[in-house]
Amino acid sequence: MSGTVLEVEGLTRRFGSVVANEQVRLRVRAGEVVGLLGHNGAGKTTLVSQVVGLLRPDSGSIRVADVNAIADPATARRCVALQAQAQAPIDGLTPRAAIEIAGRLRGMSATDARAAARTLADELDIREWFDRRATPDGGGLSGGVRRLTAFAMAAVAPVPLVILDEPTNDVDAARRRLLWQTVRRLGDDGAGVLLVTHNVVEAERVVDELVVLDRGRVVAAGSPSQLRGASDHDLRLELSLHPDGADPSEFPADVPIPIARRVRAGRRVLLTLGAADAEAAVAWATTLRSDGRIEGYALAPATLEDVYLAVTTSAAASAATTTKEAADV
Amino acid sequence: MYESITSAPPARVPAGVPPRTGLWTTYGSLLRWTMAQIGVMLPLFIVVQALLAAGIIIGFGFLIPDIDTPAARFLSTGAPTVLLMVIGFVMVPQGVAQARTSGTFTYMRALPVPRPLLLLSDLTVWLAVALPGIPVAMVVAQLRYGFSYTFDWPVLVAASVLAAVMAAAVGYAIAVLLPPLLAQLITQVLVFFVMLFSPITFPASQLPEWFQAVHDVLPFRPAADLLRAGLLSGGHGVHWQDFAVLLVWCALGFAISVRALVRRA
Repeated sequence: MSGTVLEVEGLTRRFGSVVANEQVRLRVRAGEVVGLLGHNGAGKTTLVSQVVGLLRPDSGSIRVADVNAIADPATARRCVALQAQAQAPIDGLTPRAAIEIAGRLRGMSATDARAAARTLADELDIREWFDRRATPDGGGLSGGVRRLTAFAMAAVAPVPLVILDEPTNDVDAARRRLLWQTVRRLGDDGAGVLLVTHNVVEAERVVDELVVLDRGRVVAAGSPSQLRGASDHDLRLELSLHPDGADPSEFPADVPIPIARRVRAGRRVLLTLGAADAEAAVAWATTLRSDGRIEGYALAPATLEDVYLAVTTSAAASAATTTKEAADV
Repeated sequence: MYESITSAPPARVPAGVPPRTGLWTTYGSLLRWTMAQIGVMLPLFIVVQALLAAGIIIGFGFLIPDIDTPAARFLSTGAPTVLLMVIGFVMVPQGVAQARTSGTFTYMRALPVPRPLLLLSDLTVWLAVALPGIPVAMVVAQLRYGFSYTFDWPVLVAASVLAAVMAAAVGYAIAVLLPPLLAQLITQVLVFFVMLFSPITFPASQLPEWFQAVHDVLPFRPAADLLRAGLLSGGHGVHWQDFAVLLVWCALGFAISVRALVRRA
């Protein structure tokens, strides 16, 4: 069961002059959870739409469970269960009926579909609403229960590839954890899971592999620890700036410790530093705070979010530079 | 000492492409799904059809002072056709346009089912919504003018089903062909065309000749004549070319709709 269930090579798709996907390369093996990360508009949903045959790529190849998804999209769709980013259309149905129908459409017998729906409802702790009808205009069931139902509809039948597009939107913290457990279970059952999200912190806990997409390109790929790199023991110093306050780390000369990476995200500045410099870093940050130059600080082990912000921000910066150079010519 | 090694349980997911689900199972499941979505509105649709029938049969009656029995008959036997056309050319496109805007249309297209079945299940449900309009219109006419019908059942059943399916298929095609907002606008225009400019509730002989010729190829007059022949057997003959016109429009609606469902942007 080490087969590849999704193999994307050199995938390019444009909308007019906008390049939504450019030479994307991606692989999901059976039993593996792969996270596809990226900002809004990075091209994640465009990629998914091509895998399930809603969009035709300009060039490149897509193979799902060894089926050429571009030449034979109908067969490829049988191999994919998709939880779309939009809510599933379940108005007029109960979660039980919706999950059972999803199972039946994938060829499960009525008995199997019923049993699988019950199991998932228990796993996701939605038995309370299991027989409540969703009514039009968002009535009957909350957004979270609708989302969990849509997830269960994608997870009910055994398929080679499960694609989840932002599955935890609207879902409460406790049930998010249950959902991630089920995602992990799908992988352990032998399915390949492609998890599309912009939530790096959540993704880090469940994925085996990560692909970071930025402006349609793959800017980083690998396992979480590979992506964190050799600096797995690095620390992250997070400075919270005052509104409109100056960034004390703006000029490297002002910082008394060596900084491996500096990323600014709004009023937060994330500095990556070696574990040996922790004491000096805390002393510096404490002084900054007592001088009133920052609102607060936190020191923690470096996370994947730092890496993610670094690769997407640097790509943006280099893109900006490129544009400027092009304009200068 | 050996450590015991527990191997992972056998994978639940079989390798390779899952087998194709039977067409009847797929159709049945889709029907259940679509029925739940549109079906909750079914009582409302029947009330709307009753009101519309009353509007045509009673309201149009006011336009004609001292209405005689033949005119009342013509009006009353045209009302069911107007209802079928309104469901197919107005309600269906609005439903589909809404499904496109809300993402439901895309969601359904991503399902592991042959996409033409999506159209078939939708049309089946719209047929179930549209057909009650015929008895509803007949009851209203009976209450207002109190005359009796002479049914030609085979013609009535064939004409009703064909007209309803044709209208829904063409309505579906309008909604997938045009941007949602434009589709909704067109349907509003079509209502007026069906009610006021189509020889459904009045005889075609009242129209100028060139317009009669236009209505020979449009589906409205043929649908109305066939339904009338089913409701009042004897008085109005069945013209087979009317069936042909409806079949051609039906095929056109199907072809455009299926193409839009199957096609990748």
